[in-house]
Amino acid sequence: MKDQELNNLIKMLDQIIANNLHHGDDDKVAGVAADHMRKFWARSMKQQIVDYANGPSSELSALARLTVARLQAEQE
Amino acid sequence: MLHYYDPSTETFEPGKSIPNPDQDYRTPARLSESLVSISVDGRDITVPEGTSVLRAAALAGINIPKLCATDNLEAFGSCRLCAVEIKGRRGYPASCTTPVAEGMEVTTQTGKLAKLRRNIMELYISDHPLDCLTCPANGNCELQDMAGAVGLREVRYGFDGENHLEAETDSSNPYFSFDPSKCIVCSRCVRACEEVQGTFALTIDGRGFDSKVSPGQSEAFMDSECVSCGACVQACPTSTLMEKSVIEAGQPEHSVVTTCAYCGVGCSFKAEMKGDQLVRMVPYKGGAANHGHSCVKGRFAFGYATHEDRIREPMIRESIDDPWQAVSWDRALDFAAQKLRGIQAKYGRESIGGITSSRCTNEETYLVQKLVRAAFGNNNTDTCARVCHSPTGYGLKTTLGESAGTQTFDSVMKADTIMVIGANPTDAHPVFGSLMRRRLRQGAKLVVIDPRRTDILNTPHGGEGLHLPLRPGTNVAMVNALAHVIVTEGLEDTDFISNRCDLKAYQAWRSFIAEERNSPEAMEEVTGVPAAKVREAARIYAGADNGAIYYGLGVTEHSQGSTMVMGIANLALATGNIGREGGGVNPLRGQNNVQGSCDMGSFPHELPGYQHVSDPAVRARFQSVWGVELDNEPGLRIPNMFDAAVAGTFKALYVQGEDIAQSDPNTQHVEAALKSLDCLIVQDIFLNETAKYAHVLLPGSTFLEKNGTFTNAERRINRVRKVMEPIAGMEDWQVTMALSNALGYPMNYSHPSEIMDEIAQLTPTFTGVSYDKLEEQGSIQWPCNDEHPDGTPTMHRLDFPIGKGRFAVTEYLATEERTSRRFPLLLTTGRILSQYNVGAQTRRTSNSDWHEEDLLELHPSDAELRGVKDGDWLGISSRVGHTVLRAKISTRMLPGVVYTTFHHPGSGANVITTDNSDWATNCPEYKVTAVQVEKVTQPSDWQLNFVDFDKRQQALLKSAMDKREDSHANALK
Repeated sequence: MKDQELNNLIKMLDQIIANNLHHGDDDKVAGVAADHMRKFWARSMKQQIVDYANGPSSELSALARLTVARLQAEQE
Repeated sequence: MLHYYDPSTETFEPGKSIPNPDQDYRTPARLSESLVSISVDGRDITVPEGTSVLRAAALAGINIPKLCATDNLEAFGSCRLCAVEIKGRRGYPASCTTPVAEGMEVTTQTGKLAKLRRNIMELYISDHPLDCLTCPANGNCELQDMAGAVGLREVRYGFDGENHLEAETDSSNPYFSFDPSKCIVCSRCVRACEEVQGTFALTIDGRGFDSKVSPGQSEAFMDSECVSCGACVQACPTSTLMEKSVIEAGQPEHSVVTTCAYCGVGCSFKAEMKGDQLVRMVPYKGGAANHGHSCVKGRFAFGYATHEDRIREPMIRESIDDPWQAVSWDRALDFAAQKLRGIQAKYGRESIGGITSSRCTNEETYLVQKLVRAAFGNNNTDTCARVCHSPTGYGLKTTLGESAGTQTFDSVMKADTIMVIGANPTDAHPVFGSLMRRRLRQGAKLVVIDPRRTDILNTPHGGEGLHLPLRPGTNVAMVNALAHVIVTEGLEDTDFISNRCDLKAYQAWRSFIAEERNSPEAMEEVTGVPAAKVREAARIYAGADNGAIYYGLGVTEHSQGSTMVMGIANLALATGNIGREGGGVNPLRGQNNVQGSCDMGSFPHELPGYQHVSDPAVRARFQSVWGVELDNEPGLRIPNMFDAAVAGTFKALYVQGEDIAQSDPNTQHVEAALKSLDCLIVQDIFLNETAKYAHVLLPGSTFLEKNGTFTNAERRINRVRKVMEPIAGMEDWQVTMALSNALGYPMNYSHPSEIMDEIAQLTPTFTGVSYDKLEEQGSIQWPCNDEHPDGTPTMHRLDFPIGKGRFAVTEYLATEERTSRRFPLLLTTGRILSQYNVGAQTRRTSNSDWHEEDLLELHPSDAELRGVKDGDWLGISSRVGHTVLRAKISTRMLPGVVYTTFHHPGSGANVITTDNSDWATNCPEYKVTAVQVEKVTQPSDWQLNFVDFDKRQQALLKSAMDKREDSHANALK
């Protein structure tokens, strides 16, 4: 079961994606959303969402997973 | 200081470019490129065409006697004391209503004029009490001065005739009295209420000898429409309208010019003192934001500064269930520092953070973020601007390249259409609201986009405003519909777009906005506003020579707050309303230093001047001055801090001047977060709601007790000057500095001017700012640097900081907070004129006479459906909480929308607001909460718990105070 903090991060991620869908295909949207997270999310928030996306119980949408993957790649 | 008059600096705004703000130049300045030369008593003077003879004489240093004239009111010509002789003209014209003419030769002192003036004064004094020695205006009375000036020696008519000497005093207003026995019916108060304030609450009732000043129709001041702005008191030449504080204390003996600490208008005031006692606050005519006007808060509500509830000593405790222990500053700071370092050792460097308030000065907020970044070693710094205008920062930076409004307040006087979106200027920014009303009376058109019918729509003589009462949460749908009309009806400014805007971004936006789904007709079902009205509004805005948009928290505090800000910028770019006076995008900032706290790097992702922490070159500059390595990752925002605290990873918080427990949404979540902390350090002037959860309480200082600067909503940096010593011995910047030193990171400033020098060194838009320059100019609007050495009143005149203006696609997404059968109403929140935010200051003044409690306003149809009458107790339930307020039935809302304020902590308004927030900035969605309302008979559980907790915490504070007093008493024995 996800805790409240993680729930909020997932909600934030989904909101960022939903408000940037106009940028084009999934790849572009994921890039813009990942860039937003890079600029505005704290290190611990990024780490939590990356850990969750990579974990076995991840319930992220495909676009959210793609966004987190882009974020992770940028972080590395 | 000498003041020289230069006619080329005269402008249309009353008070602006005044040679000497402390002098009354008798009639307002006139703006004209044509200059006229006259001679007054043989002295030559050149003034703009249209200037009165009376003003011209004053500018030449010749003070013609007068009573009904003053330079913030149009000439009236009633007292006739200012009569002069003009060569070649017959009679004795009143110089206040006589405009200058080329070559005019004016004589102000002759035997005939002296006799005429003495006769006039005799008539005035024959119906005036001769109690000068016991009168509160003694020593500061224009009538007394004029009697002296005209050489009045006798009153031949005697005092036995019919008179007004027994007229009763009206003391109903808590701040000033109205003694009609002293009134000379000069009409200055009536005209001030009309021309300056724009309320029209006063009138002259009756005719001839029966003429008298009357609030409304012979009502008491408190029962009338008077908003207690003080303009009438300021205008009164006698003691008819007089501050009660002056009646009680006597005339002040010195004054200091400083800046109001209430809303984002940033009014300048003269704090008039007797020793260290503040007698009154008088709006300063030289203040470029307010030109000598004020509101009920800044003018009168300063009593909180000396209120008995002030925290006077540092205090510590291990647990929030323990009594407070009053200790020395050193002990408290060591205690705090040890806790912070201990927590970091146990939970990691990122387990602590700091929050500043937009009520604090620039220098204070700069120091707190520096403390967090340099001494805490992380970027967990945020400001209460997070919960109000963070979307403005994001939206304007994205589209216009700078996180700030584009205009001066005075710019509104050149606007032809004024569009007000989600703002309530007459209540929340009253002095600017009055200026806006002045422009509306001159004929500017008004469009208001707001779920409520706000008072700006009821501007007397202000014309018919167009109100678009949209459903809460549909701003973006509305702005898209407006833009759709502009694009599809050919109302764009194509020259501006092709010269000043990024064309690729423009084309993308244009294609999107022109789609039929964004039309007013398509959006009508979403917004609830008839398409024809939306089209009319778009045409009024786009068709104006100058269209100006003013917006407030009704724009930003939404799940699409940032999108809406970008939508507003799109409108201004599309119509070319950027880069000149009369237009622009104008965020009305809620608190006094919202702009400044954002400028000073309070947000976790950017250093001062909106420089991102990930930029190595930026960090290198700060590192070289601060002498430490800086983290390159953004820190936690306020809501993220709360989540992390509840999760157990965030353990300590330093809060300066901000009451997060009352002002942030979902109170129960905030309370849970605060209870989770191992160390909460609160620096405040009172035991606020947050402080009740604290382990360290550091006494704060009011704006009267410190030096610094505030930056208002027009980017104007204004000086805050200390008028009395801080109650606990330290100014707030000194406390932060001492905490930093206790933590082992040295800070050594001897005056806030040195902090500003460091800000200027590190912030590209502030490089020209210094205290010396502020003294010289009075105020500075940033950017102020080599490119703009005297500051920048209007931004983006030639280009944007990002080169070209960038249109942004603004897709409307409905909020997740929706009505349902269980929660069928939408709650929206706001503030009222007499109270300020969490009310910590205004609740401790007589302003509560106007607003004792927060009420739930609901539409008559919603009330009838639920059997609700005015004054009934109503339970308000949302998806996160429940509270109880009294009902006020009002037609200002649409059916289905309810409204309340959040000025009283026991109201629990934020117990029901949710965690929903803006997608880009996490600014809470205060303005949309789905609720149900029903009649109840008792307070909510939260309210009952609140009362208990409050009693317990007050008792714990009192025990510390009692112990301290006992030990002082023993020491004295």
